[in-house]
Amino acid sequence: MAKVDLTIEICGMSGDGTIAAGALLNNALSRAGFSLMAFDSYPAEIRGFGRCVTRCRVGDEEMLALTSETHVLISLDDEQSFSRIPFLAKNAIVFFDNRPSSYIEEGKSIAARVEPDVILLGIPFKDLAAEATGTTRGRNITALGALAGVFDLPVEPFHKVIRNKFEPKGENVLLVNMKSFDAGLRYAREELDYSPGIPFPVPEKGDEETERVLLSGNVAIARGALDAGLGLYFGYPITPATPIMEYLAKALPENGGRLFQMEDEISSIGAVLGSFYGGRRAMTATSGPGLALMTELIGLGVMAEIPAVIIDAQRGGPSTGLPTKTEQSDLQAAVFGGPGDSARIVIAPTNVIECYQYTVKSFQIAEKYQTPVIVLTDFFLDNRVENVVMRHATAEQIADGNIYPDPALKGKYHRFEVSESGISPRSIPGMEGFLFATTGLEHSEKGIPDYTPNNHMEMSGKRHRKISGALADLPAPEEFAWDEALDVGVIAWGSTFGSALEAVRKAQSKGMRAGALKITSIFPYHVDAIRGFMERCTDILIPELNYEGQLANLIGHLFRKDVVRLNRVTGEPFPVSIILEKIEFLVKS
Amino acid sequence: MKTSGRALAAKVSSIKDSGAFAIRSRNLPTWCPGCGYFGIHQGLNNAIQRLGLPHHETVIVSGIGCAGRYPFFADTYGLHAVHGRALPVATGVKLANPGLTVFAVGGDGDGLGIGGGHLPHIARRDIDVNYLLFDNSIYGLTKGQPSPSSPTGFKTKASPTGTTDAPLDATLMALSYGASFVARLFAGDPEGIAAALMEGIHHKGFSFFHLYTTCVTFDKNFKTWDHLKEWIHPLPEGYDPTNLKQAMNQALEDHFSMGILYKRKKE
Amino acid sequence: MSWQHYIVIGNGPAGNQAAFTLREKAPEARITIISGNVGGSFRPHLLPDFIAGKIPEESLFVVTPDRYKEKEITFRHGQRVVKLDPNEKTVILDHKEVISFDGLIIAVGGKPRIPEHLHSFEGLMLTLKTVEDAHVWISRLAGVDSILLIGGDLTSLAVTKALLHLQKKVYLMLTEHAFWPLRPDEALFAEVSDRLACRGVEVLGGEIRKIVPSPPGDSFTVQFNHRPDLQVGLVGAFYGLSPEIDFLRRSGFRMDRGILVDEYLNTGFEGVYATGDCAQIYHPGLRNYWVSIGHANAVTLGKVAANNLLGGKSQVTVPTESVFELEEINVNTSWWMEF
Repeated sequence: MAKVDLTIEICGMSGDGTIAAGALLNNALSRAGFSLMAFDSYPAEIRGFGRCVTRCRVGDEEMLALTSETHVLISLDDEQSFSRIPFLAKNAIVFFDNRPSSYIEEGKSIAARVEPDVILLGIPFKDLAAEATGTTRGRNITALGALAGVFDLPVEPFHKVIRNKFEPKGENVLLVNMKSFDAGLRYAREELDYSPGIPFPVPEKGDEETERVLLSGNVAIARGALDAGLGLYFGYPITPATPIMEYLAKALPENGGRLFQMEDEISSIGAVLGSFYGGRRAMTATSGPGLALMTELIGLGVMAEIPAVIIDAQRGGPSTGLPTKTEQSDLQAAVFGGPGDSARIVIAPTNVIECYQYTVKSFQIAEKYQTPVIVLTDFFLDNRVENVVMRHATAEQIADGNIYPDPALKGKYHRFEVSESGISPRSIPGMEGFLFATTGLEHSEKGIPDYTPNNHMEMSGKRHRKISGALADLPAPEEFAWDEALDVGVIAWGSTFGSALEAVRKAQSKGMRAGALKITSIFPYHVDAIRGFMERCTDILIPELNYEGQLANLIGHLFRKDVVRLNRVTGEPFPVSIILEKIEFLVKS
Repeated sequence: MKTSGRALAAKVSSIKDSGAFAIRSRNLPTWCPGCGYFGIHQGLNNAIQRLGLPHHETVIVSGIGCAGRYPFFADTYGLHAVHGRALPVATGVKLANPGLTVFAVGGDGDGLGIGGGHLPHIARRDIDVNYLLFDNSIYGLTKGQPSPSSPTGFKTKASPTGTTDAPLDATLMALSYGASFVARLFAGDPEGIAAALMEGIHHKGFSFFHLYTTCVTFDKNFKTWDHLKEWIHPLPEGYDPTNLKQAMNQALEDHFSMGILYKRKKE
Repeated sequence: MSWQHYIVIGNGPAGNQAAFTLREKAPEARITIISGNVGGSFRPHLLPDFIAGKIPEESLFVVTPDRYKEKEITFRHGQRVVKLDPNEKTVILDHKEVISFDGLIIAVGGKPRIPEHLHSFEGLMLTLKTVEDAHVWISRLAGVDSILLIGGDLTSLAVTKALLHLQKKVYLMLTEHAFWPLRPDEALFAEVSDRLACRGVEVLGGEIRKIVPSPPGDSFTVQFNHRPDLQVGLVGAFYGLSPEIDFLRRSGFRMDRGILVDEYLNTGFEGVYATGDCAQIYHPGLRNYWVSIGHANAVTLGKVAANNLLGGKSQVTVPTESVFELEEINVNTSWWMEF
């Protein structure tokens, strides 16, 4: 069991430096050796005006999900923090500024609103910052200093991250922030008469060789693409995928590639297909509404057997939906969207390191199986930050996946030659003697339009056989179960898997026979492995952040009876407690 | 009818003899006899041969329509994409391997209707792609509906009382979108096409070729061979193609002057 | 009635009772109870039993925070009132929140008194007022065999009982403050000393000159004026309580050691009452001010203040009796005119 497992929130108004303080905190805690998962909420309004909340779950064991409760709240703006009160755990600690610049009306202080079990620590952030530096701007950093002082956290990591962040901005800025931090630290150590009942011991330094990096899902995706040798990026701004484009806008040219912001998602996917056709790795990242626009060209990729890599960062839907909320409701569109039998390869990472790994993998798979590959992530996964053990892509993983034609076929090459695997070796423009034309029309082995009955049957069979064959290269489902016979098997995908696994572990520790199955290859899916797991279970529970139970619809038929669906579309990550409750309910009945 | 049939056969045979179909693939074009596309095909073929462009380093990307079938008739790499999307796909191909010579090919419906949103951006990005817009002012493949460049009052099965919309002028659009090379050519003049294409291919930037052509099967009234031959004429003597304003005036005032209307001076 | 906001400052026996009485009699009013200490209302007189280990911590509490919630009384604890304006009818908390009231009951109680001459040793001595204090006693006692209790108020006698139960060596120094709030009387003094001596308690007299912490740390050397030095593990100060009303010095109240109130517990300001240990109550019969001592009295006074705030006219003229028991000696506590 974890020795420390805390959720720390900072809440303020835009302009209070909430997000900056949150980022510094994440960095410092990561440096100190803690595991963490952090997820911020930003104001949705256009000019970015409104409440900012940073949440960081920190501990000594790997974090799988967020908690529903907050153990420590730093209030930089009491009125904004009121909304966070319902989430405070029993005996939570609230830091607030007890020397506001003027008198405040009854009820406007957070001290007026919290439940009696909450421990209030009044610390004069503004005054301390002003005394130490002559300005109140560093009060958010003062609050961090107070946090470090109260919990007796190691100070060196904080100093280091403050230095790294502010040194480039000049000596004065660095000094203001350093002194603001130290003022809060000193106050907490010397003047505040409180020591917390919550343990916060620093973990022992693990294996020195493991490199831990603080990464968000989006940055992990961008890094994965870069490490895989991405040459061209074509994209269009859309929440929540835009940060991928912005990261690559800087990094890709530095890596010898080029980035283009296109006029829409249609031209983005068009150019990606053109690029792969021309022999260079390309990528686009979008969200639901953009994926919808790409449907027709994705179909072209499937029919004309042209590779593509598409990141779909799912958000609330349908239609324009909820741009800043998380959801997992594009599965059906990603797998099946579009006319005809056009199912294509869809994979879904469950955490940040998998975002990196699967993006790397997608290029090779797209090339080998000559078809669009869609990587499904979600708002929560894209924007959350974890400190992951970095496992860089190997040469093998980034090697060219294309299967080229046998040179002996020069002059006699048929682009769509039927084969047992369904894969027809493809030539790239520039290869002499291997000319071909490809098309979205049904075509013969030579690539000429052909609508005859047998041809369409055969070609459809070839293409489907090819895609099924991709199972060999796609990540297999992973089981997390101790018992042979299980009362409840939980099958989950995407970021929901983390919540599901935590719920299952909790259930296991309570003596329940529960197990979890992680599915990351959404299509094609591993029928045998999934069925094998299901057979051991009395009940199968599939929690998903979508209303229609899209994964359940896809694989539910493999189970001998109806699967139990657990659907949630609140725009928030899937709470562990809801899954645990359902497991307990199923075990009892 | 008979007369034009015999004349056409003679024409085909003379073209065959000249070896102008070197670029022809083994697939017979699906275009109707007398279609203007044959002339364009001949012009493109000549340009490629004369420039000595290796076939395996040439890519033709097309949209949907009669023009869209082009890649199958040419002995190059080809990509028959979806309706209106040849330009972005061609962009990807060229950027992936700048050593390739890339052509985008499509009709007026494909390029000015559904694909209209892509033309401004490839032009302003000045991607080194050669775009051939086969403008016969009709939707031929789907059997004769009006297109965005059909004249007002154009009567078809889909517009029995005549269209009421004003036509789009592709040349004017390309110029106003900032294309760095704009040529207006006639399918009945393969040599003129070849010459302009050679210059355009050589031009390092987006080259736009507005090709006036016929649909002999579905348009018997407007863009017929006879009408086109009557209307078209060369650009005026001493015309300066480096003057954008002049080019735009030319496009506004005279819809039938043929040649390279604009070619941006590269510093 | 329903829009009235009543504030009670202090959640000891008096303040607590006042709040609950207000809730009973004014079901629709808004009631806030503010306390500088953290935690629910507890019975101070049970602290010695808690230290002795005779009762669990839960038994100390009269009211837990949940109970306030049930009664819809807003409980603001760990928050101190720093200013009070009886004319404007506002209180200001230490974090600068300004709260208006329609009626106010001040029941802040008292804090352990340290006489002047011992002020410099304040940090070396333990007192016993709150549950936190009791926890400190418990943890310190674990490593200590002998304790000196000075002052001799009634609480110290109860603590003596507790320490004997824990089999510690007790020294008890009785001064003129002995048996506070009772007035020491010769006979009582002698009897109590005897009884205590029988139990092994060493009763001392005299005056303390100095308290010095002795290395290696966990003990103290106490130097007296008329007797030899004493080495003990712990020193406890039991000089009675004095009202915690410093924050009211500039508010315009009539004050002596405590807040002076009339027989109805009113401070002289409309809607503002004081009750419990912090009040000095006028006795029309005696034409002088009384002080109430003891848990039962405090509770009664809380009730009276609440009633009167709501328009009642109860007087507190009849002294109530309560009994203090020490080693089979029953002592009547009653109204006394002084501290």
